[in-house]
Amino acid sequence: MIMTAIRRYCLGVHALVAFIGKSVSYLMPILAFVVAFEVFCRYILNHPTVWAHDTALFIFGYIAALGGAYVQQQRAHINVDILYNKVSPRMRSLFNMISFILALFFVLLVLKMSFGKFEEALEFNYRRQSEWAPHMHHYWLMMSVASGLLALQLSSDWIEECYHLFTGKQFLPDNIRDTEENAQ
Amino acid sequence: HAAEYNWRFANLYSRGTAFGAVYEDLAKNIEVMSNGRIKVQVLYSGEGVGSSGIFGAVKTGLITMGAPFQSLNAGELPAGIVEIGLPGGTDDVGDLSTLFYEKGWAPILKKAYGAQGLVWLDPYIQPAVYIITKKPINSIADFKGLKIRAPGAYGKFLRNLGASPVSLAWSEIYTSLSTGVIDGSIGSNMIDHRDGNHVEVAKYMYPLPLAGAQVLPIIVNQNAWNKLPADLKAIVKAATAVHAQEQMTKSRLWESQAVADMEAKGLKWSPEPSAADKAEWKAAGAKLMDEYAAQDEYSKELIDILRKDQASNQ
Amino acid sequence: MMMSIEVLTGVLFVCVIAAFALGAPVGLALGGIAMAIGYVTWGDALFNVIPTTLEDTHFSFILLAIPLYIYMGQLLTRSGIGDAMFNASQMLIGRVRGSLAISVIVVCSMIGAMVGIIGAGIMTSGSIALKPMLDRGYDKRLALGVIMAGGGLGILIPPSIPMIMFASSTQNSVGRMFIGALIPALITIVLLIAYVVISCKMNPSRAPLDVVPENPPTPKEKLLTVRDGLLSLLLIVAVLGSIILGIATPTESGAIGVVGAIILAILFKRFKPRMVQKAGMQAAMLVSVAMWIIFGASVFSNFHLLMGVQSMVAGFTQDLGWPPIVVIMMFQVIMLLLGFIIDEFIIVLMCAPIFTPIAVSLGYDPIWFGILMILNIEIAVQTPPYGFALFYLKGIAPPGITMLDIYKSITPFVMIKFLVLVIVMMFPELVTWLPSQLMDG
Ligand code: NA
Ligand code: NA
Repeated sequence: MIMTAIRRYCLGVHALVAFIGKSVSYLMPILAFVVAFEVFCRYILNHPTVWAHDTALFIFGYIAALGGAYVQQQRAHINVDILYNKVSPRMRSLFNMISFILALFFVLLVLKMSFGKFEEALEFNYRRQSEWAPHMHHYWLMMSVASGLLALQLSSDWIEECYHLFTGKQFLPDNIRDTEENAQ
Repeated sequence: HAAEYNWRFANLYSRGTAFGAVYEDLAKNIEVMSNGRIKVQVLYSGEGVGSSGIFGAVKTGLITMGAPFQSLNAGELPAGIVEIGLPGGTDDVGDLSTLFYEKGWAPILKKAYGAQGLVWLDPYIQPAVYIITKKPINSIADFKGLKIRAPGAYGKFLRNLGASPVSLAWSEIYTSLSTGVIDGSIGSNMIDHRDGNHVEVAKYMYPLPLAGAQVLPIIVNQNAWNKLPADLKAIVKAATAVHAQEQMTKSRLWESQAVADMEAKGLKWSPEPSAADKAEWKAAGAKLMDEYAAQDEYSKELIDILRKDQASNQ
Repeated sequence: MMMSIEVLTGVLFVCVIAAFALGAPVGLALGGIAMAIGYVTWGDALFNVIPTTLEDTHFSFILLAIPLYIYMGQLLTRSGIGDAMFNASQMLIGRVRGSLAISVIVVCSMIGAMVGIIGAGIMTSGSIALKPMLDRGYDKRLALGVIMAGGGLGILIPPSIPMIMFASSTQNSVGRMFIGALIPALITIVLLIAYVVISCKMNPSRAPLDVVPENPPTPKEKLLTVRDGLLSLLLIVAVLGSIILGIATPTESGAIGVVGAIILAILFKRFKPRMVQKAGMQAAMLVSVAMWIIFGASVFSNFHLLMGVQSMVAGFTQDLGWPPIVVIMMFQVIMLLLGFIIDEFIIVLMCAPIFTPIAVSLGYDPIWFGILMILNIEIAVQTPPYGFALFYLKGIAPPGITMLDIYKSITPFVMIKFLVLVIVMMFPELVTWLPSQLMDG
């Protein structure tokens, strides 16, 4: 009963993170388009925009941050796997449980600080320092969401590793990480 | 023995630069004058906080004291743009001093910074902002259509003159001038132009400064400040006053050295602007006042005083 | 709890090694270690380093080259344009062992000429060239090493962001640095190619020759290969041209490359909306991988800097009574060690102003010293266990490639770069001659 609930939680987290991760990929062509458009306006029309510079940076930040949870889900964050590859699978689960706690600690701090900045940005009406001066609050809200998602994914992964350590069995269905995008 | 107060003081300059040494002197002065009760660790450019992060870092107490550049935190404290000096403002040190201490700018700025948990200490003056261009500017009309790297208020000012302000990273100015992505760039002062090697790729300096003098603050985290006893507060204040003097005398000297260095490398000045050009230049600055006054309460208070001051001078 | 900076550095070092041994995600672990130890030594006020570091990392217009170039690379791979480029160069070079690796080095040098930072260089070269080499049965170590060595050229071949930063923080000419770097860059390229040729001769299995097809290609097929290859070369010419002609900055030129890649894909009749999305997915993941590492590592190094590690470095350099060349060598060792904890930009910001005046007072040419610094940084970011370039390469490598593979793959190439460093150290004219010919005329 409890196991079923926990498994549901993990599958829910996976689905949510995968959805956000895939959505972020649509920002890539938009980013390239914004930068190319600025070059066009400046070089061909001789009339640079006021907004492209900041917009490009915002999109860049959104991609960089929001992709983090999906990267964790695919276990694609870079690690130094020299000792890691030499130990037994269950030992590896133990290693991961320690690493993920450390990572979770950091990501929760990022969440806490970003949300604090979000509130501050609302209170003091923080903006970018450029001529266009767009609002900053949405960036800090996005950072809170991005680190929150990463924390959720780490918690789910931690549960998975814990289950594997004690039972030697997989907690979630095998195919959950075999997405097409990740297969080379 | 260990100090009673350990402070971190961040500035925007690199270790070993002339300006960096002046901030180092301020730190040393605080240590010496407080008899070692306050120890100040100086952090230079890139050492722990980025250039636009100094304001936020002092606010949160990550660092205790900072020498920020207001244009870089205009999004957090819009009044800083008026404080540093809107384009077309005065460069007369006496006028600036009365504006701050007699005509009421200082209390307004104390309030504006105080609202964000910052203590505003004696400001100091750094030299003027100039534009360097690849081709000579013979009259203001030549600015039309020129792509000039100029952030924030300086960009708006140049737009009023018909130029097209461009946003670029500082580290891409050199390459961009060299290939012609931009036709010109402002530098935060002459020393900045020299250090950026701009004269290698653009030869002409426009004689009218965008801002005649820049007024920069020293800020301290409010909580750290409150912990100091009254005598130490007085000592820190006295040290910043000494620092302001040193900035004034030394920066003048360095500015002229930077100009001489650049002239040796082939810097030329665009021709002296006509009276009509000067008037147009001034008008472009005046337009900005309305815009900035409308943006923010503190900015409005500062600009109101400035306007009253200008009216009484005429 | 108070700790001297020396003790703190030791503690941080031990924790990093432990986290690496456990196989923890690099960026998140570095951030976590800094915050945990910082909490003990400093208190929770330190956590405020997180927002300022985030803003510095995500709002850096220079780092924007990373997503743009990675996306361009992914589009080229998925549309088959990258393959076309290498097919044509294969045909032109002919049936020489290692010919693909050689053309990869040449292509990497061109990419190096476009980008000014290391990350974009390695991840773009890797996107375009790794798969073709592995598909043709190249030894994976050779393939990885070539990508790393070639991609790293981004900061040695102008334009180069670290060179601009060096020149401005030491008041030297950027133009002189750019020109001074050309001969060392050329030497590096030649040595890399020579290594590939020799190592493939000695160990032919590392680079199999293409199987001769049963039906040799008809003249028409050959013509098509050449046409496709030339068209894809045109893309590189367009991107480089956009920089040289002043249309775009090196950062923005990545976007020109993306648009060019899409136009080429349409010309090649290989354009599918699905491809744009898939390339976007892969690129977004790679960007996220790189940026979470940069962010976590910056939190780590910002903490270390706030605690005063730079004063420790400055302290080392005081009261020296050593022969000048020994001082220069010691600087190189310090910078290599710094590559253990901080990125290429901060090494320049920190070391250039401390070291250069000393080098100049010992009678050395500052431009020469600057180029040494750039060569050194290239090595520092590639040496195990901690180096951004290593992580970028692992990010771009297919699953199944371990960090050990990467460490082994780069060894000969790092030695070549080290050799270049030593050669340039011994013969300063290699740097100073060309600028004096071109600029003092
Ligand atoms: Na380059
Ligand atoms: Na290293």
